[in-house]
Amino acid sequence: MIKKSFSILILILCIGLIMTGCPKKTMVKEEPSAKKSEEAARIEAERAREAREAKEREAREAKERELARIKEDEAKRAQEKKEFEQSLERKKSPGIEGEYFESKLIKDIYFDFDRFDIRQGDAEILKGNAALLVKFPNVKIQIEGHCDERGTVEYNLALGERRANSTKNYLISLGISGNRITIISYGKERPFDPGHNEEAWAKNRRAHSIIVSK
Amino acid sequence: MLKKLILIFIPICLTFTFSAEARVYLDINAPTLIQIPIVLSKWKNVGKTPATLSEKVYEILANDLTLSGFFRVIDYQHLPFDLRRKEGIPEVLFLKEWMPAGGEILLAGEAFLDSAGLNLRLKFHLFDLVEQKDMVGKEYEAPLQNLRAMVHWISDEVLLQLTGERGVHNTKIAYASLQTGNKEIFISDFDGANVKQITSNQSINLSPAWSPDGRKIAFTSYLKRNPDLYLIDREGKNPIRFSYYPGLNVSPSWSPDGKQIALMMGIEKKSDIFLIDANGGNPRRLTKGHGNEASPKWSPDGKQITFISDRSGSPQVYLMAADGSDVRRLTYEGSYNTNPSWSPKGDLIAFCGRVGGRFNIFTIGIDGSGLQRLTSNSGDNESPSWSPDGRYLAFSSTRTGVAKIFIMHANGLNQRPLTQSKGGESSPAWSPRFE
Repeated sequence: MIKKSFSILILILCIGLIMTGCPKKTMVKEEPSAKKSEEAARIEAERAREAREAKEREAREAKERELARIKEDEAKRAQEKKEFEQSLERKKSPGIEGEYFESKLIKDIYFDFDRFDIRQGDAEILKGNAALLVKFPNVKIQIEGHCDERGTVEYNLALGERRANSTKNYLISLGISGNRITIISYGKERPFDPGHNEEAWAKNRRAHSIIVSK
Repeated sequence: MLKKLILIFIPICLTFTFSAEARVYLDINAPTLIQIPIVLSKWKNVGKTPATLSEKVYEILANDLTLSGFFRVIDYQHLPFDLRRKEGIPEVLFLKEWMPAGGEILLAGEAFLDSAGLNLRLKFHLFDLVEQKDMVGKEYEAPLQNLRAMVHWISDEVLLQLTGERGVHNTKIAYASLQTGNKEIFISDFDGANVKQITSNQSINLSPAWSPDGRKIAFTSYLKRNPDLYLIDREGKNPIRFSYYPGLNVSPSWSPDGKQIALMMGIEKKSDIFLIDANGGNPRRLTKGHGNEASPKWSPDGKQITFISDRSGSPQVYLMAADGSDVRRLTYEGSYNTNPSWSPKGDLIAFCGRVGGRFNIFTIGIDGSGLQRLTSNSGDNESPSWSPDGRYLAFSSTRTGVAKIFIMHANGLNQRPLTQSKGGESSPAWSPRFE
């Protein structure tokens, strides 16, 4: 922008020179050569000064913009951190060691009956969860594998283990360190919805993440 | 407690001897159960024994024999007037006198409480009313608090005399129950008496398994935020955490010699069957495939293990040698077969199979033949566990609403709830006989 207006300025100066100077060459008697070269030097210096000033101005403005951007980023990060902090809910399960946090910003994914592969739509959800883990590198999570009530206690524990592990593996494939993720299978022991119908079962076949360290 | 039980075995009627052509009272291998009509005459209170005591003995005895499924108990109160009044053991048995009772067998007994009210002596005789002979007479003495155990011994003896194999009245069943709002481990006697909560940690406690000597129970608990294996006395004391590898440490099954435990472990990022030493160390992976492997149970000879695998695409029952070799699939019918349990005689596997969206109990021969369905039209039925004599199965059923523990004959007859609890029960495990 500045560069452009500077060129325009030079262009205008040139046009002015052509319009005013050139005809004079033919019309007006020539000045003594000493005076003429003095004038040229003056213009030259003027131009150099202007160019220098424009460059300085440009650098200054760029620096200001950079500072503004950093400040904006910091504000954004602070805002995100605030939002994350605000989203945290401190929890404790009776009979299970350790306090933990839950955040609505880390979302659950769901599975088909007797399956443990990540569904297409849920891959996007895990990308969101991974992005959050990238932003907050101190956060460690535990992924819980859950099942619906159909089938036996033991087989569902195996299935829950698989669901938690496939969720963990997906996050690792997105660049999250495996050291930040533990898993636990609850099988069918901790249903989200106590109902006995497909609607409830669909909600219960899930991988739920809790924050064990932030 | 049972250690304190002093048993005095007195063959009182020495004149009676078994002949080589002894009558077959009950063929326990018959496809249908024919119940023996057995007369329980009134028990006699010897000395200053309170009447309530012999009534209690009578009640437990009648219940035991009914629950065994092998008898039609004829209560003395339903006898003709003359016989109703007869109490205690008759010195001489007159066949004609007892004919109107309508039974083939007569069980008569006497209770004697010592003057201090501490020791109880129970004496009984079993008579064959058809052949007019005294089959057996025995006497037991023990501290009064062991009354139930003593009566169960009498019941076991009656079963031995009439079926050729001792009963399982002195056994217990461990199970998980949601009664308190959390899943805790409970124990109950075979007849539903003495329900006792043995964990109260408010955590999730799962799949109890008895040690072969019946002294300890292994189970899984989430106390330390991981499904770890614990060991606890059957009195509910001295819990110790003894297998706690990250991931699953669940579904324990003791080898018959008590030296090893088969279980499901998540060491390989999925559930596999592992063996660990009885102290929890030295885990060895037995299953090598890519499937989910679950629910291991030892064969009674300790040479094989049955388990579940979904390597074929759906959970099915498999057998393998105890070192993980020689794997073969046992079930081919149905798309969801789980919870295998090896019969004490080694010939059958009981399991839970899904048919038409409902879960039911089946048995199958270990050669894959003779598939039999034991439950139907009665909610979901899961987790069969054999009694130590192989004549009964405990299982969970939702037939009355929330899941409860039920017991049935191994041929599917005489299904009844274990206790009168509200329910929320799962994973029954039948104890060995307590000596």
